[in-house]
Amino acid sequence: MLARDEADQILTRVREAGAEGDLIIDQGQALSLKAKDGELEEHKVTSSQVFGLRVIKDGRVGTAYSEAADPESLQALVQQALQNASYAAVEPNEKILPNTAQLKTDDALLCPDDTASIDAKIDLALEIEARLASKPKVKNVPYNGVQDGLGERQLFSTAGLSALSRSRSTACFAYALLEEGENNAMEGLGQVSRQFSELQASRLVDSVYQNALDMLAGKEIASGRYDVMFDAEMLPSLFQVFAMMFSGKSAKDGVNPMRDKIGSMIADPRLTLRDNPLATTGFGYALFDDEGTPTQSLNLIEEGQLTSLVHNSMTGSHFGLQSTGHGTRGPRSTLGVGLHQLELVGGDAEQTALTAGRTVLITDLTGMHSGANPISGEFSFGASGFLCEDGERVQAVRGITVAGNFYDMLSRIDLIGAEQHWNWERSALMPSIRFSDVSISG
Amino acid sequence: MLELNTAETVIDHGLSLGADFAEVFVERSLTSAVNTLSSQVQAVESGIDFGIGLRLVFGAKVLYGYTNKTAADELKRIMIELAAKDQRDPRLGLVAFDFSSPEERHPATRTLSLDADVESKVAYLLASDSAARAASNLISQTRGMCRQKEQHVEIFNSEGCHTRDVRNYVRATLTAIAADGQEQATGMWSDGGLLGWEIREHVDPKKTGDEAARQAVVNLGAKACPSGRMPVVIGNGFGGVIFHEACGHLLETTSVAKKASVFHDKMGEMIANEAVSAVDDGTMVNEWGSINIDDEGMETQRTQLIKEGRLTSFLVDRMGAEQTGFDRTGSGRRESYKYAPASRMRNTFIEPGDADFDDMIGSIDRGIFAAQMGGGSVQPGTGEFNFAVTEGYYVEDGKIQYPVKAATLISTGPAVLKEISMVGRDFSLACGMCGSVSGAVPTSVGQATLKVDDILVGGQG
Repeated sequence: MLARDEADQILTRVREAGAEGDLIIDQGQALSLKAKDGELEEHKVTSSQVFGLRVIKDGRVGTAYSEAADPESLQALVQQALQNASYAAVEPNEKILPNTAQLKTDDALLCPDDTASIDAKIDLALEIEARLASKPKVKNVPYNGVQDGLGERQLFSTAGLSALSRSRSTACFAYALLEEGENNAMEGLGQVSRQFSELQASRLVDSVYQNALDMLAGKEIASGRYDVMFDAEMLPSLFQVFAMMFSGKSAKDGVNPMRDKIGSMIADPRLTLRDNPLATTGFGYALFDDEGTPTQSLNLIEEGQLTSLVHNSMTGSHFGLQSTGHGTRGPRSTLGVGLHQLELVGGDAEQTALTAGRTVLITDLTGMHSGANPISGEFSFGASGFLCEDGERVQAVRGITVAGNFYDMLSRIDLIGAEQHWNWERSALMPSIRFSDVSISG
Repeated sequence: MLELNTAETVIDHGLSLGADFAEVFVERSLTSAVNTLSSQVQAVESGIDFGIGLRLVFGAKVLYGYTNKTAADELKRIMIELAAKDQRDPRLGLVAFDFSSPEERHPATRTLSLDADVESKVAYLLASDSAARAASNLISQTRGMCRQKEQHVEIFNSEGCHTRDVRNYVRATLTAIAADGQEQATGMWSDGGLLGWEIREHVDPKKTGDEAARQAVVNLGAKACPSGRMPVVIGNGFGGVIFHEACGHLLETTSVAKKASVFHDKMGEMIANEAVSAVDDGTMVNEWGSINIDDEGMETQRTQLIKEGRLTSFLVDRMGAEQTGFDRTGSGRRESYKYAPASRMRNTFIEPGDADFDDMIGSIDRGIFAAQMGGGSVQPGTGEFNFAVTEGYYVEDGKIQYPVKAATLISTGPAVLKEISMVGRDFSLACGMCGSVSGAVPTSVGQATLKVDDILVGGQG
């Protein structure tokens, strides 16, 4: 039976129970390959399907999901969602949108035909491991792989919404462990594309090897306050850790410290940050959010001023606003909000000015899930990177901690670089930022 | 959950493709979550997880696939696709399954399939919220959560194994937020186990609320943490995350077999201070990290990892045993049918010693007492780890001085194990979710309060 038919049956049952609702059907196929010692160590082939139902009855919201697609399980799905709703408090702002749109993403853009053979993918996995393993000082390549996936989300509602998003991604990654005497270092990186043929093993291998080789000689530096830059991977990670500052849901829940600061200066006046879901070169591309609301570019911070939080229809309604197209809901989760892909607008600093004098370039942060408090903005992370003089890496640095308050740091920006870079996952596009006076312990 | 003849057909097919080993892992899990916010129910969620994991082993190579469909033809199709590059002469077919039912070590009564007990969970969480707000008028918000899961697993393999198990997990958490002007801070209380909602008989909403509120209020008044190398006393219970991160992951054959662990060639050697003895134990009744059988069908056991500083065992799954030559320890675990099993921890802890808390604090000129620890991570290849202190105090001249915030401890596994010089008597376990190659599995960490003589503390002071 087609997913559409199953959706119709489920939503008919919802209507018959005097409720309204929406249904997410996620389906996917994936391939994952890992190499070890010149052989394929893991070869994983998967197919999955999950139904996630949200119902609203008498102003009360309930959700349930099922990975089993037999008729009894899908009937239980409706009953459970209705039963869960009966325990919920009335939420006057959460509604199924009167959205009858028929939406579909562009397959030619997001889901190009993959003509690469399984043999080619296996060969790439083996090649990456072999090339790294053959380099001097490489002890092994403990984590590596080639992954390929096709994901599809369908969204249907009792109001008549029908939306389909389909995308393909193919990626490779590697972590190399190097050893020299008593010293060791492990560094890793990845690449992602919609076409397998665009993955470049040699670029990945060279970058991973050079990073690990540089880090072998890493040591602590004296504790103190330094001018600090985070590389193209770590700067988006830092913003992601504190993404709650833009959450309309956290504002509604009373835990977002920015909830009363719309229109206030919260950052350096040179800083402009937007969420840009329609940038097709990014992997955070979204034509519509998980309520079926079409997305658009949204400035969050404009020249240092907080201009908007991100909202779904419920949090928007709570604050007397419209949804900004940032509703999130998975088959297993309730309605939330989330960012699609951040873009930090380039500044005016050329590379020479950006890296003038002494700086610490942070290339890795550890403990980001546990060492940060998004409510207060405080953080303390393990870190490694390079001590630089006029942009030249003069010493690899490891075993240090970097600590501070992220919300204060946004106002202590020294320079913003002119050139923007994607992180390797292509989820954020940002220039370099030089933060002044950051606490480092060695 | 899967017809016996379907399992036979599929495993026979795997062997006919030339696999050395074939396994079918079937899972059907019921899940329930009750969430409260702002003294009211925020969401009640439930669901059914169902799927079948297929593992084929050709030499050292693991081929793994999964699907939600139960038809033999679909399972065989995935096997054929998996083995496309490895197909070779057939192995001898399966003789017969030898069904065995594991000993039930962890009884549960109020299970999810009997009743989700939503009213009782809501009442408990709202009473905890009231207690937190009554404990301090600085408490501005609480988030409560009760999660319950009933996981049914059935395992078949080409060595004739056929077994089933049911695992009942329950966990309750309350987070309190204290606010004073623009300042906000959090505190948390959590408990859980391998049992049903009868855990309600052991958890007191007043204690839950009081403890979450106490931590939040302490953190609200905390000063910046001094930074640099110094001695640290780490509290009991979740303080054991230090051992979990610094050592436990490095003893999993997932890392050892790849020589990606600094301990891979240290069996029998002194790797820790002789004050340290450590265990990974799946048999502890109703504990969060316990199991009856692992996810490869092997009965669980108590494994002595370190005895008085000497490395005595790794954590070994089936593939790890083949690759390292060490005996299996019943440690093959996975989050769900979506993952191939890997060697993982269960209830992992440093055994208690006989040191006095006052002597530990009294021995410090300038250092930290990390009363509560948060999460952390480790890079097994180098042993470098970090973890966050969620309730900490500055110690000077042998006395606790004032609370500190935003502290991180970083070191390497081999270094910190040699710096543990004193271990106390107040042993306890705490629940956590451990993420690794085979997904997030329930594990307990534990220890008595202990002293690390020298570790890098990152803070803002």
